Amino acid sequence: MADILPLRFRMLHYISTVDKACADDIMQALKPEYGTEKQFTKNVFVEHLLDMKANFVIDDNDVILDNKGELVIYYSINDEGRNLLKKYLPKRWNRK
Amino acid sequence: MNISGNSTAIIMKQKLDAKFAKKGVLTGLFSGCTWGLNNVLLGLALGLVPAMGEDAALYAIPLAAACMNDSLAGLWLLLYNGGGGRLQEIIRSLKTFPGLMVCLAALLGGPLANSGYLLGISMAGPAYALTITALYPLVGAVLSRIFLKQHILPRVWAGMFLSVIGAIVISYVPPEGGNNANFYLGILFASIAALGWGAEAVLAVFGMSMIDPKIAINIRELTSGIFMAIFILPIVGGWAVISQVVALPTTVGAFAIAALAAGVSYLAWYTANSKCGVAKGMALNGTYVMWGVIFSAVFLSQPLTQNLAIGSVLVLIGATLVAINPKEFFNKGGEA
Repeated sequence: MADILPLRFRMLHYISTVDKACADDIMQALKPEYGTEKQFTKNVFVEHLLDMKANFVIDDNDVILDNKGELVIYYSINDEGRNLLKKYLPKRWNRK
Repeated sequence: MNISGNSTAIIMKQKLDAKFAKKGVLTGLFSGCTWGLNNVLLGLALGLVPAMGEDAALYAIPLAAACMNDSLAGLWLLLYNGGGGRLQEIIRSLKTFPGLMVCLAALLGGPLANSGYLLGISMAGPAYALTITALYPLVGAVLSRIFLKQHILPRVWAGMFLSVIGAIVISYVPPEGGNNANFYLGILFASIAALGWGAEAVLAVFGMSMIDPKIAINIRELTSGIFMAIFILPIVGGWAVISQVVALPTTVGAFAIAALAAGVSYLAWYTANSKCGVAKGMALNGTYVMWGVIFSAVFLSQPLTQNLAIGSVLVLIGATLVAINPKEFFNKGGEA
């Protein structure tokens, strides 16, 4: 696809379209776009989420343990993140 | 902020946040250590450049070295990102506004600040120029407070001030009278360097809200290297230096090894800035002055003067103040 966004940017955009999402949710949703790439790993997605949270563009507001006892963190976009998307998301993406 | 979830999950999350904060601090310190190493290696590489006269030594050689350092570091990072299957991310990022902001950051922190630094030293003398340029972490912190609204704890401010004073003590040289006709212009150039480096970090961190730091730093290094090669080196006669250097395989190798340290250091710096904020990232990176002293003393047997020892201790205490607050690691992951 010609107009694929940088992965972190696309993750922020995806989070803005849902109430909340964890790394696995986002990976599932973005698999058609990035699934064949070497960077498409859980660790990379988790790292992007932690970084975006540290940059105050998303919030982590819900945590659970899955049935394997592993931590699952849900993220939502905040005003700062929404503002960034409003200003800097390429025009063609606004319609999606 | 309130987080919902059962208590075991919340405790696990707090541990993860503490681990993340610790990783940011260690990466920042690592960036300072490798930058100190880069400075020493670059000094050794410069020693292998044939003598080309006083004029060349003033501008052409240092700017050609800065250009080679950035360009070669950019190539090392291309290899790194190629190995990680991220090359396509570079093109994707350059098509977005945050990607272009990283290019602007590169121009401010690379050609503009580097040139300002050298011109400042030559016109105002190292005593004043180095003192002013050592203020860059404070400039970055103030700009990040204004433009990124990053909250900076009083403890971090205090640590930064101590580190900056330490850096000034280390680089102190007695003033030479200050009767140079271009003295005030030199002060202006040194201020531009401090502003350029501070603004670079703020713009890059803004970009990295949407772009991977590994990609941002690759764009930064290549943009800076290419711009200097095309626009700065022809003006100062830097290409004559490069044509001399490429004829000497050992010298090229020395610059390539120094650039590897630069690439690793810059990658760590951008990663740290993205994880723990501009103020902490810059203060921890600023420990390079101390690391440079240690490496020079250990590997080059340079004497450890009183100034170097006192300054290094101040930098160390400052960086520790910036980095360590066990309470914060466990309770307030979000603050700078």
